[in-house]
Amino acid sequence: MAVKKDYKDQNLAEKLRDRKYYAPDSNPEFLKEVENIGQTAAHMCYQCGTCTGSCPSAPRSSYRIRLFMRKAVLGLEEECLTDPDLWLCTTCYSCTDRCPRDLAPTDAIMAMRNLAFKRDIVPRNFLQTVQLIYKSGHGVPNNDANRAARKKLGLEEEPETTHKYPEYLPGIRKILDHYRLKENADRILAEGE
Amino acid sequence: MSGNNHQYAFFLGCIAPNRYPGIEAAAIRTSKNVGIDLLPLKGASCCPAPGAFGSIDLNVWYAMAARNVVLAEQMGMDIALVCNGCYKSIWEVNHKLKHNDELRDGVNEVLKEIDMEFKGTVDVWHLAELYYDPEIVGVKKIADSITRPLTGAKIAVHYGCHLMKPGKERHFGDTENPMWIEELVAALGAEPVQYRNKMQCCGAGGGVRGYDLAHALDITNEKMINMQDVGVDAVTEVCPFCQLQFDRGQIEIKEKFGAEYGIPVLHYNELLGLAQGMSPDELALDLHAIDVEPFLKKIL
Ligand code: SF4
Ligand code: SF4
Repeated sequence: MAVKKDYKDQNLAEKLRDRKYYAPDSNPEFLKEVENIGQTAAHMCYQCGTCTGSCPSAPRSSYRIRLFMRKAVLGLEEECLTDPDLWLCTTCYSCTDRCPRDLAPTDAIMAMRNLAFKRDIVPRNFLQTVQLIYKSGHGVPNNDANRAARKKLGLEEEPETTHKYPEYLPGIRKILDHYRLKENADRILAEGE
Repeated sequence: MSGNNHQYAFFLGCIAPNRYPGIEAAAIRTSKNVGIDLLPLKGASCCPAPGAFGSIDLNVWYAMAARNVVLAEQMGMDIALVCNGCYKSIWEVNHKLKHNDELRDGVNEVLKEIDMEFKGTVDVWHLAELYYDPEIVGVKKIADSITRPLTGAKIAVHYGCHLMKPGKERHFGDTENPMWIEELVAALGAEPVQYRNKMQCCGAGGGVRGYDLAHALDITNEKMINMQDVGVDAVTEVCPFCQLQFDRGQIEIKEKFGAEYGIPVLHYNELLGLAQGMSPDELALDLHAIDVEPFLKKIL
């Protein structure tokens, strides 16, 4: 004889019967966006924790990649995007290589960072790199000590990049301007002053 | 016989030409000695930094990297490079655009504004994989090019992350305990040594070095401990950004945590240069933060 499983607490029984139950502050669209930008089926995560166990950032911080995966599935957009730990992933891809569900937790994090940036949430150093590239084409530009060293090596003082051929810079700026990246970087950095 | 050499457009990136120019000089000379000509890729930019740009907006990262690839397409030449971070941007974006029409169309829409088009006609290679590939160079030819074997030097290999990982999207096989760079090191007459957690990240990537230096250095410190434990004379890598993190990082670790290792950090091309008889001056080894002298004493 089949026994009907249920809970004595009627409210709880109701909630748990509804398999589509979400916390009030959850946004199911968030999961879709993460999966779409990150190109990974985050909802397949079965929370084994292999990712966190492989993560070089986990033992030295409160950053837990498994937790981010779960929160993405639960649509906890606000919690994910405003958590400073989001920026502690070194993108080493160890989790991605070892995930038994063949997911790419690293790319889920990259997707969440992209979504955070759309809301102006981004650490300053990321924006400073944008400014440097806009100016010189390089995230790590040349300097005088290095020019002297290059000369001693028999290399030209400026490498064969945008440094030696600044006529390529307008094209680079056009690409960045297309996405309004420099403008946004300047604005967000100024607002944070 | 330069006429029979393999030719590649040399994508420099940022840190090699602008912080460790010895890597650039060594790459050109050592490659020539094993039959590879590296030609200037004029007007290339930052790859751009996959951690910083990818985190902000993947679409900008695709477009900016694609522009660099198109410069090589215009030369009609495959790209060779010396940095894992550059490999992530240039190899991966090239690969993605070749296999994803939607993505390629989106990128070309933007490139049209600067009269460029991604066609998907070239491939991208890390110099280290070309050295290992018997059809291009191969370990034997590397060994044959040596005039000053690095006998007696114990060397730890740091593979870094973005050359081989994620393994399922790359073509390097095992990413848990690869040994091919050790073979390249052994070809120089040195002794590659194994150490705990060899495949761990240097700590710098993903924008973490700029975001939380102490956190990045703590990861680096763990690697330094593991290398020191097995008594290495130097660590070698194939990524100038990892090199910066280990080299300057050891100074920063000393300042922040008080720990001192003094382990010289050499890009594989710098090692190869030494083994092919280049002098420390010709490699600008004086630019290294950690004194390379103890290592040189051992081998010269
Ligand atoms: S390793 Fe994969 S399946 Fe396991 S918790 Fe992490 S993301 Fe989920
Ligand atoms: S890619 Fe990021 S989340 Fe994954 S193991 Fe590395 S640091 Fe951790």
